[in-house]
Amino acid sequence: MNYPTELAYTKSHEWLKEADGVAEIGISDFAQSELGDVVFVNLPEVGDPVTAGEPFGDVESVKAVSDLVCPVSGEVCEINEELLDSPELLNSDPYGAWIIRVKDVTGYDEMITAAEYEAFVSEEG
Amino acid sequence: MSELKRTQLYDVHVAAGATMVDFGGWEMPIQYPSGIVSEHLYTRHFCSIFDVSHMGRLLIGGPDRVAFLQHVLSSNVLALELNEAQYCIIPDENGYAVDDAYLYRFEEERFLLVVNAANTEKDLVHLRRELEGYDCTITDITADWAAIAVQGPKSREIMTVLSGGAPVTELVRNSLNTLPLEGHFARVSKTGYTGEPLGYEVYVKSGDAVWLWNRLVELGAKPAGLGARDTLRMEALLPLYGHEMGEDAEGRQIPVFAVPLAKFAVSFSPQKGDFVGREALAAQYAAFQKIQNRDYAGTEALPRKIVPITLIERGVMRKDMPVYKDGRPVGFVTSGTMVPYYVAEGEGMATTYTDATAKRALGMALVDNDVQTDDVLTVDIRGKMVKAAVPRFHMRVDAPPYARPILYSPPVQDKAADGQNYRGEALELIRKATENHVWRQRQCINLIPSENSASRAVQLLCASDPAFRYAEHKKILSFYDREVFYYQGTKFIERVEELLVEQLRQYLGATEVETRLLSGQMSNMAVFSALMDFKNRNNRKVEPQRLGYILHNHIMKGGHLSAQPMGALHDYVAVDPVTERKAVVPFPVLADNVYKIDVEETKKVLDQYRPEFIIFGKSMVLHKEPVKEIRAFVDEMGLKTTIMYDMAHVMGLVGDYFQKPFEEGAEIVTGSTHKTFFGPQRGLIGVNYKPGDLKWDLWKTMESRAFPGSVSNHHLGTQLGLLMAAYEMNTFKDAYQRNIIENAKHFAKCLKAEGLDVAGDPAIDYTETHQVIVNVGYALGYDIAERLEKNNIIVNYQATPNEESFTASGALRMGVGEMTRFGFEKEDFARLASLMADCILRGRDVTEDVEKLRSEHLEMRYCFRDEEINAALEKFLGVIGL
Repeated sequence: MNYPTELAYTKSHEWLKEADGVAEIGISDFAQSELGDVVFVNLPEVGDPVTAGEPFGDVESVKAVSDLVCPVSGEVCEINEELLDSPELLNSDPYGAWIIRVKDVTGYDEMITAAEYEAFVSEEG
Repeated sequence: MSELKRTQLYDVHVAAGATMVDFGGWEMPIQYPSGIVSEHLYTRHFCSIFDVSHMGRLLIGGPDRVAFLQHVLSSNVLALELNEAQYCIIPDENGYAVDDAYLYRFEEERFLLVVNAANTEKDLVHLRRELEGYDCTITDITADWAAIAVQGPKSREIMTVLSGGAPVTELVRNSLNTLPLEGHFARVSKTGYTGEPLGYEVYVKSGDAVWLWNRLVELGAKPAGLGARDTLRMEALLPLYGHEMGEDAEGRQIPVFAVPLAKFAVSFSPQKGDFVGREALAAQYAAFQKIQNRDYAGTEALPRKIVPITLIERGVMRKDMPVYKDGRPVGFVTSGTMVPYYVAEGEGMATTYTDATAKRALGMALVDNDVQTDDVLTVDIRGKMVKAAVPRFHMRVDAPPYARPILYSPPVQDKAADGQNYRGEALELIRKATENHVWRQRQCINLIPSENSASRAVQLLCASDPAFRYAEHKKILSFYDREVFYYQGTKFIERVEELLVEQLRQYLGATEVETRLLSGQMSNMAVFSALMDFKNRNNRKVEPQRLGYILHNHIMKGGHLSAQPMGALHDYVAVDPVTERKAVVPFPVLADNVYKIDVEETKKVLDQYRPEFIIFGKSMVLHKEPVKEIRAFVDEMGLKTTIMYDMAHVMGLVGDYFQKPFEEGAEIVTGSTHKTFFGPQRGLIGVNYKPGDLKWDLWKTMESRAFPGSVSNHHLGTQLGLLMAAYEMNTFKDAYQRNIIENAKHFAKCLKAEGLDVAGDPAIDYTETHQVIVNVGYALGYDIAERLEKNNIIVNYQATPNEESFTASGALRMGVGEMTRFGFEKEDFARLASLMADCILRGRDVTEDVEKLRSEHLEMRYCFRDEEINAALEKFLGVIGL
């Protein structure tokens, strides 16, 4: 299992990367492995407001659907449209396949470091 | 919560890294590390194995076992022969499913009933409650036996390794067999829950489970879990208890007939008596029939039905999501998921699958009865309204070895043709027809055994004036049974028909011949219709009885459509009230030569079924038919059966070198005139009945089933051509028939010597007819036949008795008739065999060599070729202006 140290994580298994005032959000390696084959990603639209700690979309595996919980509050400025046709990118490249980008970030959910997240996952697992 | 149960294979699953979940009280693998998508795809294109040992296995024994099962199951247990299985429902009194199940008859004395794991205890309580009064036992053997499903296009190949080459089961679905697999006792059933056309469920003793699992993996099968099992069954539209049966989204029980498969699983045969739920199921069935006719009034017993559903916008459906039609709530999704598939290229038989994969969202829904195929629906996916459609199906399994995904596309409207250049198209048609004629007649080596070319004289006569005329005629008793013609200008054709009948009587050794039929198939239908009429002649005030039992050659054992319930027998064969199936029984064939009828086994079948009608003859034919032996046995038994020989393929071989059907005991001979015979495409019936015979009236009925029963216009042009062909045959048959059979045997031997796998018995040089069959490898028949066609060799790809369907054909069927007629002799067939081996085995382009060989044989033999005949033909040609 891979936990890049430059990212921040949530206990609901999202990751967050910030640069130039824009927050990029995806799901962790552990999350994709638990989900199994991802077959569909339900994305918000550009311009939608998002709230830290609230769902912004969902991701479906063959078996089940899981909410995507937003680590930040702000406004969606970009969605990863590639995921609409190739949701399996979340399995093959979880840290490359970002899901949404958020601008005008105003607040954060509880974030943890890579080391803390790894400890949290190993406890949960 | 009680402790989860584990199957005999639990440790194997854990060691393989499976994700284990609680499934109906069992700790089962939902998926292995490769994941559900890859497991699904591997099943569809190779072979997966599933641990299904958790399913309940109940042995039903005791003297009243049949009566008990008729009472508690929806199906007709008496329809099960030994080594057959059937799908059934365990209904309750109200016509709802306690469970769905599979019933297997591996043994005479006991039945095996396999039920859903989660329902086993409930089923046992229900079954034991109903057991009172029956001398019958139910034994739960779930723990003693393990079950592994082996599913996918490679499953037969893999299982055949374990069986040491022995046939695993008969090829048809629901066949069973008990056989050792590498020394381990096993019961095998050709069934499954994936929709795969090739797939088995294998039962072995618990101690052999791990061995079998690991051995299957060694042979290339991969484990698949319950996740893939679910996506596979959804794509195949197979119901699952708890989804399509049991409670619906609103907590109501789903009636059994809401599931389309129910119509196969429920029987109201009188044999079943008053079984559990009969009354309620009968009410559902009445509603079901109304709904099929789109009459929705009075269908309360069946308020909704299960239909396939697929999304046409992005999303994934899940169980219980509401479904709407035009804004009106019409039901709920019962099963839904996203299913992967391999992307196909090409069309028809040339369809191939690429490595590219894609996914589609599909499932099933329980909806109002007025929802129809191609309706556009919407599904409420967590508040988002997503468009869906009702396809006819998600997948088809009638082109083995693959289950083929059918991607939904909405119906398209035909566009009206406008601005067509008809004259230009006419010109193009003439050019193309010229090209085709030159190619097939001068450049190709034609080896289709059901084809021949006609002589110049026959062709010219076919095209002359009678081709545009009518000559209806009928024998009228008032005129001493003489023919009366209904049209003027027919005296010439009247004489032609008299002469033709006389020529064919001589040729066949028949007392009477009917020549007005236009094809072999039509000839058979006229005979079947006449036989049925003859059977009912003494009471015409009631519904006529159909024919049965009929002994015939099964289509999967070389029989032709013209003697199958799916073909010409369709409307004439009875349904056996006990088995509820068409009353036909196939000729048994030899285990070591599937092309030959097993006479001793046939005698047993005759004794058991006492058929009223026997049809000899087939289209994949290497042997003489045992007419003489069967006639002798039938007479000895005193059976009043009618024996017919459909000689379509071998019509040109009647005589000393093959068979004389009437001398051997056939009463009726039918066939077409253009395979080994020299004529244009027509059919005929010959009989050996004489005035005064009991069956003389049967012959008279055949005449009336020809006209007015089958034809009004009997295509006089080709009838004229056929007379010339009959003269040719009666003149040249001795040399032609001898050469055909010698050529076929020689061709077969040369193909074998060239390294090809020639089917049949080497002791008789593989064939006693014009046909030669070469095995080219499972499901490769079409590709090889296409390759040969590109090299100007025209053959027929055919499924052998070892293949499920023509789409899985692994053989080439060839005939030497046409090329023999163009003067091919043994050395020519030797050259041809060598070229074919080059092309098939070494992929060499042999087109030029083929054209050269053909160019040496362009002149038709076994026909009149002298100067006087040629001069007369030239004059005829000049006069008719063609």
